[in-house]
Amino acid sequence: MLRKGITESFGAAIHALSSNQLTDGVIHRSKRMMLDALGVGLLGTRTTVFNKALKYSQTFTADQRSSVWGRSDLTLPPHYAAFVNGIAVHSMDFDDTWHPATHPSGAVLPALLALAETMPSRPTGLDLLLAFNVGIEVQGRLMRFSREAYNIPERFHPPSVVGVMGSAAASAKLLGLSPAQCRHALAIAASSAGAPLANAATQTKPLHIGNAARRGLEAAQLAQIGLEGNQAMLDMCSGFGVYYKDYSPSVMAHSSSGVFKWILEEQDVAFKRIPAHLAMHWVVEASLAARRKLQNKEGSFDVSRISRVTLHVPPSKYINCPFPDSEHQARHSFQFNASSALLDNKVTVASYHPAQINRSALKELLSKVEVQTPEDNRPSFDHMYCQVEIETTLGLSYTARCNTFYGHWRKPLSQEDLVDKFQANASSVLNTEGVEGLIHVVGNIERITDCSDLYSFLRRTSRCPEQELYDYARSAAS
Amino acid sequence: QTPIVFFLQKSIKAGQAVRGLHKSAVGVLKRPAAEDTVTSSFGKFISEIKPQHLSPIVLHRSKRMVLDSIGVGLIGSTTEVFELALQHCQHMYAPDNISFVYGRRGTKLSPTLASFVNGVATHSMDFDDTWHPATHPSGAVLPAVLALSDMIPAHRKPSGLDFLLAFNVGVEIQGRLMRFSNEAHNIPKRFHPPSVVGTMGSAAACAHLLSLDPSQCSHALAIAASLAGAPMANAATQSKPLHIGNASRLGLEAALLASRGLEASPLVLDAVEGVAGFSAFYEDYVPQTLESPSDNGHVFLLEEQDMGFKRFPAHLGMHWVADAAASVHKLLVGVKPGKVSPSQVQDILLRIPKSKYINRPFPESEHEARHSFQFSACCALLDGEVTVQSFSEAAMNRPELLALLSRVRLEHPQDNPANFNLMYGEVQVTLTGGDILRGRCDTFYGHWRNPLTNESLRKKFRYNAGAVLPSDRVEQLIEAVEDLDRQENCRALLSQLQ
Repeated sequence: MLRKGITESFGAAIHALSSNQLTDGVIHRSKRMMLDALGVGLLGTRTTVFNKALKYSQTFTADQRSSVWGRSDLTLPPHYAAFVNGIAVHSMDFDDTWHPATHPSGAVLPALLALAETMPSRPTGLDLLLAFNVGIEVQGRLMRFSREAYNIPERFHPPSVVGVMGSAAASAKLLGLSPAQCRHALAIAASSAGAPLANAATQTKPLHIGNAARRGLEAAQLAQIGLEGNQAMLDMCSGFGVYYKDYSPSVMAHSSSGVFKWILEEQDVAFKRIPAHLAMHWVVEASLAARRKLQNKEGSFDVSRISRVTLHVPPSKYINCPFPDSEHQARHSFQFNASSALLDNKVTVASYHPAQINRSALKELLSKVEVQTPEDNRPSFDHMYCQVEIETTLGLSYTARCNTFYGHWRKPLSQEDLVDKFQANASSVLNTEGVEGLIHVVGNIERITDCSDLYSFLRRTSRCPEQELYDYARSAAS
Repeated sequence: QTPIVFFLQKSIKAGQAVRGLHKSAVGVLKRPAAEDTVTSSFGKFISEIKPQHLSPIVLHRSKRMVLDSIGVGLIGSTTEVFELALQHCQHMYAPDNISFVYGRRGTKLSPTLASFVNGVATHSMDFDDTWHPATHPSGAVLPAVLALSDMIPAHRKPSGLDFLLAFNVGVEIQGRLMRFSNEAHNIPKRFHPPSVVGTMGSAAACAHLLSLDPSQCSHALAIAASLAGAPMANAATQSKPLHIGNASRLGLEAALLASRGLEASPLVLDAVEGVAGFSAFYEDYVPQTLESPSDNGHVFLLEEQDMGFKRFPAHLGMHWVADAAASVHKLLVGVKPGKVSPSQVQDILLRIPKSKYINRPFPESEHEARHSFQFSACCALLDGEVTVQSFSEAAMNRPELLALLSRVRLEHPQDNPANFNLMYGEVQVTLTGGDILRGRCDTFYGHWRNPLTNESLRKKFRYNAGAVLPSDRVEQLIEAVEDLDRQENCRALLSQLQ
């Protein structure tokens, strides 16, 4: 077997990367990611899937306990805290997306926070920030090992593949494991990777992120007590390569003193303004623009005068859902998001409530929606576009196209809008002190030596913490 | 003469026929009816299978599997990897006082963690059963079914027969899933099969034992699919046993989550173009529905395809070369037992199938040694057999063994495919005098074509269980498993393991 030293290089880099190698650019971007992840996670603690996972997790007891975001009344064993908080982050498909495609933060941050709470010598804010960035970096590196990873997935859900590796790397970093142990953490984590895409658009999808966080943390802890795996896991096609049809790994070059080129510096993440699959963001912007054109021309918008809506989108089966019957499907439906936007002139968190999904006006509009997949519309978040054409009963048509939605890495959310999103999300669960406290702590995390404030703010709930704001019933089909 | 014509009539409810006439374009785009999918057929089977569907042969064979699995689990509790896994669970989680742990009287863990460590124990020495198509079925299922049974309150514990049925459900589902692809029929290259089908089998067995309805059983499988799949690269390492431990644990978890109402893909086993479900783990995938168990009964795969049990703790492929080398050893030493000296041997040629992860000229750990054609061949040539002790550090580092290892060459004949149903092992030894001795094994003793006798199986069990239990306990366990299908309460078995 040809030893290419790739896994070895990853182990060495994870161990050796230091905080003085963090650049201003990377610090700025990663803090935005942390804040956004906390916000969507807090909002997500009010979902049905979170509550199911929480009830399940409460059957476990442990001496070590970690915080459950948005809950002042209970804690969980660290692995299960990572599990449920990770689920919360991805529960509404509201979390960040990167290129190549994955949801990097949800797999890493919950694990780190759960772990940090239990460590005898509490890590500083800078330690956390560094470990977080190590977890992100490893995910980015791994995705660049295949061409397959650059397109919208078809086989394995990317967070389940690279997310668990990122969590293992970040946890290993925070634990201060040796290079060999870091290497084994990755090898052990690889055996926990890989969930099929079919569970996207279902209630189980958020567990992919929850499990990535949990099992990456577990891998690091098993490595810490001496468990060993295959030291060439990343080098081998029968290793990490099993998750990809084409696999061409390369070394993670690192010198402990020199400058380190973080992928995050070159490639920013996208933040969502709608709790839905990233591709929906193109569709919604294009739909709203087409609607505006119609309204400007005709003076008013009357949905009954629409005869047909044609969507030009990239080919991707799991987000092509003509008649969604659950919130999960609705978040993965070109047709639904276009119709929602046209009907309500906006798409928000509330748009995915069952009552909204089941509106007859919406269903009627859905029956007029057609999807086409032009050859030039590639299934890649870096290249796709969406064009919406509205045809009226009077024979007029209005077309609008979106190439880059606001929030995409090419057109990032302003800091003000990012913080607004966080405030809207976090205040559904926390009181003002908690919300503002978190903004302050995360904003200054590289200067904070004692992170216990972070945890206490995460538990600063408002008066009715138990209320499930979104009591989503089971899908209509069952 | 009037010809006899048979019409197959499907009973159609009146309402359905009417609705069919008014099907709009909208309806055409809907998903297939729940009754028609492969996934739902599996869910229905798991929920509706009954004890009377178990034939005497299946009962007999599955009890042998239960006995062997417990035995290898017990001896596995003496390994380093087991100790490590147990420590991990105990540090991470307080003792939960519910489910027993192999070989640790008084130690208990919560059910999923007990499944985990007991599964690790079962596979820790690669001593557990192997099926065709290839996987290790029992280790993924039994620990979970045992742990779950421990969890069920005393007054509601399953009968021995119910317990056996759940076990067989877990094995059956694994067998059915492996028949969906050609890839599964050969020695694996990508995903380690227990991590793929084992998790699904455990979920199925636990869903059945929890009496989940057909829909929940389907969801348990779908949730489990997101927890399946580990790369082959961790075989021959200390992490391999965790594949079985995790299969057991995560399958149980999937069933528990399904019982709380968690839902997942209703098409996870079906082949949907552009969105991979369980098919993600295979290059070729053609699923088939599972017939509902009717009054006519159900033929379990175990009835048609028996299980292979190992005589020594190493990858199944090793057993062929060990038997072949042992016959050469016999030729060399003659009638009396004795040792072969390396000075007698000039060259050793092995004719074996091509499989990278079991081709290791100089294994550096016990895990690698258990996955090394070369090691098993030389061991058997030297000692006449391969045993549990052959993998101790001292035994592995014997200079005579290393001398033989350095004289091994390999050939991969075209007619020797990497398939446990078709392969053979040939050992050709050239002596220093020039003579050539050859041994060949087509079917080793313990293979499903040449199964271990009950006596041999019990001998193996006594050796294994005796490593951690007193002999009277050992005999009681043998009896408890033998009587399992006649016991009103599986507590008779459980109490022997606490």
